[in-house]
Amino acid sequence: MAEKHKIVVYALSTCPYCKRTKRFLDDHKVAYEHIDVDLLDDSKQDEVLDKVEKLTGMRSFPVVVIGTEHWVGHDEQRLKKALNL
Amino acid sequence: MSDAKVERVYCPVCLAKFKYSEGWSEGSVVVCPICGERLTLRKTADGWIGDRVDRGTEKEIRSRIDGFAEIRGYVFNDVKEDIVEGLLGKYKRFGDFYCPCRMEHVPEYQCPCKPTRGGDVEKNGKCHCGLFWKKA
Ligand SMILES: [Zn+2]
Repeated sequence: MAEKHKIVVYALSTCPYCKRTKRFLDDHKVAYEHIDVDLLDDSKQDEVLDKVEKLTGMRSFPVVVIGTEHWVGHDEQRLKKALNL
Repeated sequence: MSDAKVERVYCPVCLAKFKYSEGWSEGSVVVCPICGERLTLRKTADGWIGDRVDRGTEKEIRSRIDGFAEIRGYVFNDVKEDIVEGLLGKYKRFGDFYCPCRMEHVPEYQCPCKPTRGGDVEKNGKCHCGLFWKKA
């Protein structure tokens, strides 16, 4: 079940696909943490970007982390599968 | 052959110069053929400069992206409205209409971004953000 895993969405506040991922999770009443990387202050932003780059090998958004799984981009099929929706 | 130098107009959006056409004059509103921005012509000591019409407004960015799509023959899909919202967010938070799908706030990523002006849509079928699409 969804509640078992910690869900984190790394996003840009302006990116339309990030918004769609957030909207999808909201619509399905899934609790998640979201971080708008572009709105962080510089040092925090560097830290998070490092983390995202290590995880995905790039600086593209959204990055969705569900438990041990993660991917880049808005992908409803993958969200559904990972969350058993 | 005429020895008259071809006059050019500087576009402050794409930072390029385009050809000054016959019939234009100070105060003419023209469209930058490279990025689609509407510009009011102004003569300076360094030559012609275009001033951005409706600078910083939703009207400006809509007319720019619509103009660019028209020049290139590109089309939009239903992501357009979200992207326009993102572009307005970029202006508000970062000072200009930078690509909403990128972190970098530099002139080359002013929408339409340099890769898009350089032909990314022909290559990939769409621009980085998925605002401009090649006609099917
Ligand atoms: Zn231009």
